[in-house]
Amino acid sequence: MTLLHFNIHGYCHGIKLKYFQIEPPDIFAYLESIMEAIQTQELTKQYRIGRFTKKNILALNKVSLDVHQGEIFGLLGPNGAGKTTFIKLLLSIAFPTSGSATVLGHQLGERALKEEIGYLPESHRYPSFLNAFDTLLFFGRLNGLPEQVLRERAATLLDRVGLSEWKKVKTKKFSKGMLQRLGLAQALINDPKIIFLDEPTDGVDPVGRKEIRDMLFGLKNEGKTIFLNSHLLSEVEAISDRVAILNKGEVIKVGTIEEINSQKIVYAIQLSAHLPLELEEKFKSSLPSVVLSENLLTVTLNDKSELNSVIDALRNANIAIEGMTQQKTSLEDYFIQLVKGDAQ
Amino acid sequence: MRFWGMFRFTFGEAIRKGTLIFYFSVATIIILFFGFALGHPADDPNMISMFGKPFAPQQSSGFNIAEMILIQLHSSSVFWIILFGIFGVAGLVPSMLEKGTIDLFMSKPLHRAEILLARSLGATAGIAANLFYFFVGIWLVFGIKLGVWHWAFLSSSLYVVFAFACLFSVVAIAGLTTRSSGFSILLTIVYLFIASLLEGREHFLFRLSDNTIYHNIINGLYYITPQISGMLNNSSRIIGNNPMSPVEFTILPFVYSLGSTALLYGLASWYFMKKDF
Repeated sequence: MTLLHFNIHGYCHGIKLKYFQIEPPDIFAYLESIMEAIQTQELTKQYRIGRFTKKNILALNKVSLDVHQGEIFGLLGPNGAGKTTFIKLLLSIAFPTSGSATVLGHQLGERALKEEIGYLPESHRYPSFLNAFDTLLFFGRLNGLPEQVLRERAATLLDRVGLSEWKKVKTKKFSKGMLQRLGLAQALINDPKIIFLDEPTDGVDPVGRKEIRDMLFGLKNEGKTIFLNSHLLSEVEAISDRVAILNKGEVIKVGTIEEINSQKIVYAIQLSAHLPLELEEKFKSSLPSVVLSENLLTVTLNDKSELNSVIDALRNANIAIEGMTQQKTSLEDYFIQLVKGDAQ
Repeated sequence: MRFWGMFRFTFGEAIRKGTLIFYFSVATIIILFFGFALGHPADDPNMISMFGKPFAPQQSSGFNIAEMILIQLHSSSVFWIILFGIFGVAGLVPSMLEKGTIDLFMSKPLHRAEILLARSLGATAGIAANLFYFFVGIWLVFGIKLGVWHWAFLSSSLYVVFAFACLFSVVAIAGLTTRSSGFSILLTIVYLFIASLLEGREHFLFRLSDNTIYHNIINGLYYITPQISGMLNNSSRIIGNNPMSPVEFTILPFVYSLGSTALLYGLASWYFMKKDF
């Protein structure tokens, strides 16, 4: 058996690679597995406003992001932050002004890349004269799937999204929620490795949302990468492994939900007596935020170890602690603070 | 497979357009009218009858009357076919560019030029299906009822389809740049008017000025744009000599238009490929 020997000096996912040997057919699978699903370097997009003006608007400004394979990645941002533009650039629906990106190791626009992706746009429109089954057949044909495979897959997907009983009904009779489900089936018709979903639960009722969430978890378990654009923060929080927050075309935060939520630790401490002024000044100079209201001290900590210092300082000042609660910061709170520029 | 998928879809979309369903109905009425009306009186096979009454001898003054009816039918119908065609399918390009549709098409592994070409050919095929229905229907009626199997009439439909395909290059550019069905139809009709002026430039446009540069510009415009009027006029001349307009058939407008259509589709594809959606 032929073995290929590699001498690689560098880091991969934090592990120093120096030397390894691997069978030839596996090298491609290995390289593919360590590759980032999406990698962007300073991706920038400027749009011209109007046809006859030279005014430009900066939709994306030097966005650099890495999305790992097999994760659910949520892109959050207020309206007009550039979330949809980001997806459009990755799918070559629009072209970047500068910067570069790869998706599954392919340069943007490559046909091979589009064969491996699924996409559910925000306001998708399906041909009203086609029924659900024929809609899937049409989009499957655009993916170049053989007719027999396509028919089987379309039937399976309609079943998976709960529309099998509606397969022969024209899409013009579908509700918004049903169209979302059909859109999801359409995005999966080519069995993609990476799925871009722009507001996938928009217009879907709570039960439907839960079903879509479960389906996304199922897809993740199948090893698929899911890139999710949504303004429903609780939803993103519930299903995403990592999130990025985009505001005014710039990435202002990237991390896991835990990392983002634990950025600020807030404790409310009920004191037995009024906090002396010098101690208040001391806390204010060392902690991110200190709010004193009567005998209730609310402190924001950089990490939990600072809590002990606060308690020690209070005890040294002979102030008893009558009660203490940790205040949870939801992703929504953090998002609002961040977007408003309150958080750093 | 992918191209075929888009072509098939566009064809299906085109033939479901209300305008083309109306055209199909009108064509059916005309075919049925001639089917019931035409015939030979039982006692005179050289005479053509309408609803059983003698109408005209099949051969008169050296002209075949059936052929003349076919020429007249052709000349009077192609204008309506083209007009219905434009109204029917001009919206196919702007509708493709609508938000939510274009995003889906672009995310599929099809080159942008392939999408545009499949869309244009699918629309033309939709028109061609309606047009062939009319021409084959009339051809069968004349063959069965009068024994006139006029192959040139049948083949003339191919020239009309070709002319429409050339015209669709104008529709495509208008649709891509304006993104509006209404403007697209309007611009195409304006173009048809200009094309007919260019076709008869010697009778009108050249008389406006004797300036050589002006004449050269008019000639240049005539040759670099699809010669729709020239093609439609010539498509009826292939059927036979019209005693009212005895001009010989020439293939030149088709040859010139092939070049100019390729140029327009090239321009449309270039515009479509560099456009952000």
